[in-house]
Amino acid sequence: MRPFLSYPRIPDTVELEIVSVSVDGRDLPYSQISRTEKTVALHQTGRGDWDLATLHLKAVLPDQEIADGPWSDVVCLAVLSENSTNVRSTARLAKGRDGTWQGKIELVRGRHLRRAVLSLAVVGEVNGVPGRAIGKSEAPWYLDLKESTPRRQREIKIVEADFREASEEWLRGFKDSAWVVATVEDPEIPIVYLNTSGVEGLVEVLNGTSGSAAEKVLRDTTTSQIAQDAWIAMFHTAVSNLDQDDDGTPIMPTGWQEPVLKMMLPDVLPGRQLTDALREINECRTSGAGWAELQTNIQFAAGKRSQIAKKLTGAVRTVDREERSEP
Amino acid sequence: MSELPAVDFPAVLGLLPDTAVTKHLSHAVQAGKDFFVPSALRRAVDAEFEDQPRWHVGPVRVLVDEAMDRFEGRRSKADVWLAPRLHATLRMTRAEAADSRLWNYLAMLVAPDYVVWRHRGSKSGIAKTSRFSGRHDLQAFARLWWSAELFRDGSDYRPVEPFWAYQDAVNSIMRLEIIDHRPTAAAMVRIVERLANEGVPNASDHVNGLSKAVNAAGSTLVFDVIAPDSPVDHDARLDWIAESAHAAEVPWDRLPDGPDDGAVDKRAVDVLVPMFEKLLAEAPLRVRSKKDADDDD
Repeated sequence: MRPFLSYPRIPDTVELEIVSVSVDGRDLPYSQISRTEKTVALHQTGRGDWDLATLHLKAVLPDQEIADGPWSDVVCLAVLSENSTNVRSTARLAKGRDGTWQGKIELVRGRHLRRAVLSLAVVGEVNGVPGRAIGKSEAPWYLDLKESTPRRQREIKIVEADFREASEEWLRGFKDSAWVVATVEDPEIPIVYLNTSGVEGLVEVLNGTSGSAAEKVLRDTTTSQIAQDAWIAMFHTAVSNLDQDDDGTPIMPTGWQEPVLKMMLPDVLPGRQLTDALREINECRTSGAGWAELQTNIQFAAGKRSQIAKKLTGAVRTVDREERSEP
Repeated sequence: MSELPAVDFPAVLGLLPDTAVTKHLSHAVQAGKDFFVPSALRRAVDAEFEDQPRWHVGPVRVLVDEAMDRFEGRRSKADVWLAPRLHATLRMTRAEAADSRLWNYLAMLVAPDYVVWRHRGSKSGIAKTSRFSGRHDLQAFARLWWSAELFRDGSDYRPVEPFWAYQDAVNSIMRLEIIDHRPTAAAMVRIVERLANEGVPNASDHVNGLSKAVNAAGSTLVFDVIAPDSPVDHDARLDWIAESAHAAEVPWDRLPDGPDDGAVDKRAVDVLVPMFEKLLAEAPLRVRSKKDADDDD
């Protein structure tokens, strides 16, 4: 068996759809299943614990290519997994009369924690080798256990709290800060804590949508400053937890760390391939050589993402206009 | 273990956030000089569990103390003894075990002495932060619990033993996603067992090579189709968890029984073993130099 040899695959991607979901025998409202976002929100407010979600699936495969291709024993396999619980379960779909492949897979509550991933693998025997992956769904579906709105992209979470009396004990140590960024509190998503008692009135300004020009300027510049802090914190967290291969090659992390590194590395270490940049940043951080110099680039990359220059330019002009219009 | 100071541990388990570990893990704790728990650390606990027998600290503490006694001077041997017993004592679902806060709580409040005893580096003199709060294959207690969870054969913990045969190869296997398919995990353990029985030299390098080769093969081959597993009976696990209310503490000299949630399909394992043996034979052997290990004796 030679797994590394190339072999023919289905050139087109296959489509996987979650047709409906039932939770402990009751249908999940359609508003919690988003086809465009390919995300299902399994949490139902007002309803307590549940044990089992059954996902009804439908897949469309390119019939002609399946029939004519150099493969046999084609299997259409739904794969449900979650990294943090080390769970992987599979179910075979069967070809229905209308030509689509249909089936169901069960998601057991006690085996999943936050976000399960559902993908489709088309498998067949190719050139005498059974079990070859010959096709897969383009983007996987996400099944969020703690969300009630189906949203694929999870933005940074913003939590307002009075740091002086916060239930999170560690926040009290920052009672004089306007905000702090926590990247390890929830491994799935970075959190910005806004202090409602740090700078009086700031949170109201940030939450406002209207107000005077000055208020808008304050809102814009503060928001991009918070964003800059968040980008810097996320970048540092992402590079400080790099896993390594046994020959020392750093591995691209999963979760939110992946897009953060992919977006920022080209600005932090310009002109390199992503894998080279990852190796270099890891060497730099672990050996310390050049790490201090890199901080400038990290700030630059974070500033770019948070549009600091753009927001400040707007702010300066607004202030200027206000001054000139004063009698 | 006698040189380590005593730990004043709580009665019931709870959840401690990662940030609290970053903030409160001191050099004195990592070096095993002082296990005093500041009140700020106690206040940082997110939640203490309800007073159910399965969350009682006592039985875990007894196990850990026995391990430190039994394996004094040969600490790496403690893993294989402790893993199934910790798993059968801390009865929970995978969702519960995936919460890093539980493992943080154990390492920071229940048994920091064990973390230091087991993982203090011979050169550095301290136990690394990742042993207190870290990935499931590194954290001092999570690695034991998960190894038992991922390699047991239903209620039978025996396959967990060969998994621990080579300390410097366990991480390379445990962090592979492909072992979430139970027959793949079982087939790899069977090969590790053969290497151990035959006393093959540089076996851990062979195991690392095997992990790499099987992982690479898994990118084009779908093991779930080649070797279908039998379904897992989650209700049986829930029953096993419920039984902990009146189960006796785990035996020390024989293996406990795990949750009877379905054995791995033997035929599936039999299909994979010759495939993996072939991959191993073709895999390039890299003999690695020893680093400052914090997990050997």
